[in-house]
Amino acid sequence: MITSEDRRTKISSIVRACRLISKMNPPRPELQKSEALYYELLASYYKRLLQAQEKGDFIAAHTVFFPSEVLYAMGIVPMHTETTTWTMALFLGDQAEILSAGAELGLVPEICSPHRGLAGAFYLKSLPRPNVMLWSNLVCDNTAKSGELLMELNDCPGFFLDRPFQRSKDEIDYLVGEIKQMINFLEKQSGKKMDWDKLSEFVARMDEHIKLMQEINELRKAVPSPFPFQGYLKLLTIDYLFPGQPEATEYLKTLRDELADMVKNGKGAVADERFRIMTLFVPPMYLTGFLEKIFQEYGAVSVVEPLFTLWMESGLDPSNPLESVAKKSFLIPESRGMYGPLKQQSLDEIVQSAKDYKVDGAMYWAFIGCRHTCATIKLVKDTLNEVDVPMLTVDCDLVDPTINPKEEIREKIERFFELLEER
Amino acid sequence: MGNKKAVGLDIGSQTTKVVVLDGNNILASSIVLSGDDTESSAKAAVEKALKEAKLEFDDNLYITATGIGAKSISFSQQQKGITTCLARGVHYLLPSVQLAIDIGAESSTVIKVNERGRLSDYATHDKCASGTGIFLQQMAKLMQMSPEDMSQHSFTAKRRADITNTCAVFAESEVISHVHRVPPTPKEEIIAGLFYGVVSRIMTLCKRVGIKKDVAVVGGVALSKGLVHIFEEEFGFGVLVPETPQIVAAVGAAVISKESIEKGPAV
Repeated sequence: MITSEDRRTKISSIVRACRLISKMNPPRPELQKSEALYYELLASYYKRLLQAQEKGDFIAAHTVFFPSEVLYAMGIVPMHTETTTWTMALFLGDQAEILSAGAELGLVPEICSPHRGLAGAFYLKSLPRPNVMLWSNLVCDNTAKSGELLMELNDCPGFFLDRPFQRSKDEIDYLVGEIKQMINFLEKQSGKKMDWDKLSEFVARMDEHIKLMQEINELRKAVPSPFPFQGYLKLLTIDYLFPGQPEATEYLKTLRDELADMVKNGKGAVADERFRIMTLFVPPMYLTGFLEKIFQEYGAVSVVEPLFTLWMESGLDPSNPLESVAKKSFLIPESRGMYGPLKQQSLDEIVQSAKDYKVDGAMYWAFIGCRHTCATIKLVKDTLNEVDVPMLTVDCDLVDPTINPKEEIREKIERFFELLEER
Repeated sequence: MGNKKAVGLDIGSQTTKVVVLDGNNILASSIVLSGDDTESSAKAAVEKALKEAKLEFDDNLYITATGIGAKSISFSQQQKGITTCLARGVHYLLPSVQLAIDIGAESSTVIKVNERGRLSDYATHDKCASGTGIFLQQMAKLMQMSPEDMSQHSFTAKRRADITNTCAVFAESEVISHVHRVPPTPKEEIIAGLFYGVVSRIMTLCKRVGIKKDVAVVGGVALSKGLVHIFEEEFGFGVLVPETPQIVAAVGAAVISKESIEKGPAV
């Protein structure tokens, strides 16, 4: 029997782990300030969730890529479900317990593990019970199927936000209509009103965040590249947990300035840069430190992640906040590979980034639970081969360590580095 | 430095192979069973090859190790990945080859070799035993015949029995079911079906990296002429098999040793 005290302890443990890590010396002193800031931010996100649970504030659980800026503008406490699952796996090593609970619910290993894990976590009552469940097909097909189960497990009402595949005026208008309905639903459920001025303020800041991430990406083009391998995970997390929030601006500015200093001083993320890698899709979250170590050993650095951090377009308009929230869903880099057809434009952008970032090789992390993304592997590989960029495909899972042993992953990476060295 | 001998050591899960090069010629080679103690069996394999070459196990050797547990070998000068060594070995033995299929005891690998004999791409099948030598060995035991007899029988099959290519355990149950059918499926058809299962699985790896002539089949399983014949049927052209297909990765490791000797010590 899991008590409310246990639940509190799970989230408290994440907060404690963040604080502990932020106090430790980061591997690169040049990034000390942004590293510390990052863990403070993560701790503050979960501390707010803990406090909301204690005070009985309205909590909305939402799946990945959901426009949580809307929740912030309404004064609703967000709980990003997938990030919470992999944070538990990353910091607490709890994945076996929650994945096993997910299996008890009949969720097989071929289903996205963050979703298996979060269903398991809710089933075990390891996470605070949300007041509402919000889910979407934005921009991942797995999430579209996950929400109803999560709603049932939490015995709470929910809302499904339908995001169309293509980008056109009609489809943006349709999505705006969907977001309006969601706001009505949330106002009714929470008794809180949308603060439109705040939403406009957040939209303006989201636009600034996109530009800051573009600046960071520009700095990553430098040889040697200043950004460490696991940096991408931090950019993702900041965007997922703090869209349009001032603390995210502070983090991104701090990081940009630190990277600019490194570039100015000719300092790279690894001592002797040998291989510039394009990372496609996301490496196993639970192996972040392990992979960082291998990359350092071999002088490798991930310089670009076209499916996750490569923002091409900004231009969000604070005077049209809802249209801008809808538009952002078509700008996010994940929409290139995870949702709907893989367009020629996306392949062109991948090839162009291989050239711009002087990529030596690409690693495609074939997360078995993300079948719609894995379906693009051959297409991406053939396209990159045309511009003489070899690509390694590593079968893996984001959270579940039983899918591929880490030593096997190490061997595959080492072989690939040898291949690059031979060229 | 000039007299240093280049040695390649390939530690497989079933056998350990060693090749000694003298200039551009293979001076000696050995194949010994891999024991529980990797270091001891590797040492035994090196000693056997050195004995054949009439050389001493001394400081005048440059040893490159590859394969399972290569990193744990205390007496090697460097370690290289199996794919890199296979590419070098294939290019050394059969320079026209652009695609090589290595079927070892526990894994199958397809490599693409460029015109300089360097590895340019590869794909590995390592999640199930169904495309490997161990699987065929188990099937031979089940069929109560030697691997050589299996190979011979496959040539006489009029058709291939349908056997799954995705799981070694299921394949075994299917073989048992074919044997006990009334009337039983002829042995040669079961064997041809088994070989086809292995080949079709590896063909997908070949297609993944791109099929380019010439193609070679290497590794212990390449000794099975019946299986190689099915590869030829699937490709629609003949494939090359080196004289001793088991030692290709060891040859490649020896070639890399030779290059390292020529390059001299790192400054």
